Amino acid sequence: MKKVESPKDPQITTLESLYKHLQLAIEVEHFTIPPYLCALYSIKDDGRNRVAAELIQSVVMEEMLHMTLASNILLAVGGRPDLHHSNFIPTYPEHMPHSDKKFKVSLEKFSKSAIKTFMKIEKPETSKAKPEAHKYHTIAQFYDAVLEGLEYLCFTLGPDKVFTGKKHHQITNKYYYGGGGRVIPVIDLKSAMHAVEEIKEQGEGHIAGKSIYDGDHKYGQPREVAHYYRFNEILEGQFYAPRDKPKKKPSGETFKVHWNSVYRMRKNPKAGDYDPGSPIREKMDEFNRSYTKLLALLDKSFSGHPSALLEAVQLMYSLKYKAVALMKIPSGKGNTTVGPSFEFLPEST
Amino acid sequence: MKTKVYDVVIVGAGISGALVADQLKRKGRSVLILEAGLDEGLKPSSYQDYLEHFYTQEVKVPNSPYPNNPNAPQSNVLDIQKIEPGKPDVSGYYVQYGPLPFSSTNTRAVGGTTLHWLGICLRMLPNDFRMRSKYGYGVDWPLKYKDLKSYYEQAELEIGVSADVEDLWYPGTNASFFGKGYRFPMHKIPPSYLDQVLTRRLKGMIYYDQQDEVKIDVVSIPQGRNSIPNKHYIDPRTNKPYQPVSAVGHPHMGERCEGNSSCIPICPVQAKYNALKTLDKAVNGKGKGRVEVRTQCVVSRLEIDSDNGKIKGVIYQHYPGSHKERTAVGKCYVLAASAIENAKLMLASGAAKTSGQLGCNLMDHPYLLTWALMPDPVGPFRGPFSTSGIPSFRDGPFRKRHSAFRTDIGNWGWNFPTGAPFSDVQLMVDQHNLFGKELRNQLYNSVQKQFRFGFLIEQIPQTSNRVTIDPNHVDAMGNYRPVIYYNLSEYELAGFATAKSFSDQVFQRLGAAQFTSYAPSDPGFVQYEGMGYSFHGSGHIVGTHRMGNHAHDSVVSKTQKCWDHQNLYLVGCGSMPTIGTSNPTLTMAALALQASESIINDLR
Repeated sequence: MKKVESPKDPQITTLESLYKHLQLAIEVEHFTIPPYLCALYSIKDDGRNRVAAELIQSVVMEEMLHMTLASNILLAVGGRPDLHHSNFIPTYPEHMPHSDKKFKVSLEKFSKSAIKTFMKIEKPETSKAKPEAHKYHTIAQFYDAVLEGLEYLCFTLGPDKVFTGKKHHQITNKYYYGGGGRVIPVIDLKSAMHAVEEIKEQGEGHIAGKSIYDGDHKYGQPREVAHYYRFNEILEGQFYAPRDKPKKKPSGETFKVHWNSVYRMRKNPKAGDYDPGSPIREKMDEFNRSYTKLLALLDKSFSGHPSALLEAVQLMYSLKYKAVALMKIPSGKGNTTVGPSFEFLPEST
Repeated sequence: MKTKVYDVVIVGAGISGALVADQLKRKGRSVLILEAGLDEGLKPSSYQDYLEHFYTQEVKVPNSPYPNNPNAPQSNVLDIQKIEPGKPDVSGYYVQYGPLPFSSTNTRAVGGTTLHWLGICLRMLPNDFRMRSKYGYGVDWPLKYKDLKSYYEQAELEIGVSADVEDLWYPGTNASFFGKGYRFPMHKIPPSYLDQVLTRRLKGMIYYDQQDEVKIDVVSIPQGRNSIPNKHYIDPRTNKPYQPVSAVGHPHMGERCEGNSSCIPICPVQAKYNALKTLDKAVNGKGKGRVEVRTQCVVSRLEIDSDNGKIKGVIYQHYPGSHKERTAVGKCYVLAASAIENAKLMLASGAAKTSGQLGCNLMDHPYLLTWALMPDPVGPFRGPFSTSGIPSFRDGPFRKRHSAFRTDIGNWGWNFPTGAPFSDVQLMVDQHNLFGKELRNQLYNSVQKQFRFGFLIEQIPQTSNRVTIDPNHVDAMGNYRPVIYYNLSEYELAGFATAKSFSDQVFQRLGAAQFTSYAPSDPGFVQYEGMGYSFHGSGHIVGTHRMGNHAHDSVVSKTQKCWDHQNLYLVGCGSMPTIGTSNPTLTMAALALQASESIINDLR
């Protein structure tokens, strides 16, 4: 086996710090999901924005895969992901967790400006960017810091002291499927590196900034462009052609985007905007309770009970129907509709 | 211009054609597939068009997502009606002389009828292959079960079948049926709540069929739809654990059945196998050979060398345009266009005359429904159409007296017999003047208790049940429409009577209220010993070019090579000498894989 070399100047140097950063990685991946889902569910089911909806959906599913992969790494190093606590869901509008706070992300309907924000989230790292665990500019910098931390710890403590998690706690393809690619069980540094590469490449491209492709063909997937470029395809109404370069506009097949064939969800709705007991509030609470329950089930799945994912998947379907129903209800503010607010609301309250 | 000579020219881009093409490609062969229908489906966006067409259709019948194409017309169950004696029913694509209507349909498009099939993957039972010598009905096959066993295993891999061997039991079989250590690529689709209720309530039930004791068991059904992969199953093609095949063009979709409950007519996520998956692999996947699919090419006949009987070319017309006749040339030819279309093309070519059996022995599983309201809610309209069945009547000494049958436990309430739940809403609103909460309560009370059986009755081959052609009946492009003569015999009618009597006993045991009714106005209404029954088609179009041991009594040999034309194979359900009680696709796939080996040998 290749000898592990210690990185020069790692920012993560203890197991505790590694746990903290991997938990943060899960939160960063999760951070993107409610905004992407709002854009997706606001698209009317009239078939006119089929391509845009499919592109967004493919990105969301890959984010769910990334969350799962980050959890697998954390489980492998003996940590425990925590998805069921009141701070887990951000209060939108919000900066990306631990980012350089250049921009805020909102829960909003499908629109050009929403897609532009999504592109900022998925912006590829420049080749000069250093690993950055705290005030990172791109997600890849953050993952590079995690990877360096892993390498450093393996070098200093020895891999046996780092990878202490139970193998059967890993999420494998038995329960995880269809969500944006193959889930990789993490058991050692090599598989952890695979997992991190998969996350980085799907988001920003294989060899970030130099190729529009996500490198997925290595994992038995057809070629797909990375998230940043998928969002750009929507903005331009045109697919990338196989030989297109990252800095150029796409030159492939064109498709129509109907920016108006969308439910006019109000920006960043809150259950608190509506009186307790009012029909809208009840529907919002119902959605929030379901979303919180979903997080509880994911928490359970990621902490030694992978089979809980089966139940979680069922809940994901019912969440979609609840979210779309909220998209159709007039909000009482102008000509907007309510939309889902993604707030923490445990069953007992 | 010099005509390109392919190694093999295949007519029909359904499951048989796709499997043969894929096998040939792996052996480095060049293949041309001519398909009469449109290329919808091979592109992901056009599969979506099917879905949207389906959503807009008021009546969801098997062909409702797949628009009729006047250049390659197809049958539709909505066209089935009662046939007046002496007057053929010409209202649909089939010209039906009856006396009973042939009620099964197929899809003429890339992917074929696997677009709307249910996905049930049952092997035939050992005694199904020796009906004549064992029970005195029908004919024996030129093959035994054990000759087909390895091809069944290969078919279960190519289709991707979900089942757990330890759950499966069939009459007249022992442990060697699957063999020691055999596994399916994926675990079973979970049984429905209704399945679990029936398993519990029917435990230990015995039905007395005259002197024969029939032990009643609820058994899960192997399905061609994606489920959790069995980690102990190693894919022999890759030497790795099996990976479910996702939707064509959608790597993130369809790796598991999602319970959309519209398997027939269309699985929205393609978790259900369809031949598009095999075609995609054959056209775009690895392999030394080359497979080309040419759509909108309607074959009208074969050109036969009068000296040696060999096929010289396939004559087809392309649409839209001039309809000029073109010829495709290969070293070997395969007709894989369905039992009815294969027979039609052969008859139109004046081919395979020796046996006199061409077009004869058309069979189906006449499908008898019974329905009842259960005493308690059973949660219908969830999951696939059927996840368990009762195989107890699939084989036994009673086959000397009446048809064997397979019992489907339906998961979709009274959808098939009455059009529920939509019909319930209509009835309660229009007739009972209900609305609001009362409507919701009443709907819940009745719909949630709906339960139905479906009985697939084995039909015995008869030469008088046949497909033929008539110059007076042609389609828009001047090609023959199938002219069909179809009837049931006492053997099948006695099977109906037994199935109904069995169903009555089960309903009684369950405390379920019988709602079954058969009306003389139903197209498939028949009478037997003073009782009336109405049957439907199962979509299992079988017979028409049966296989056998001799050229004088069969159309093809056991490898499906045509006795009269040594470079021609007729593949598909048309080659099956008897139908047994299995849904025939798995057997058809196994036979196509076996034929592929023979074709590869011929080409050497």
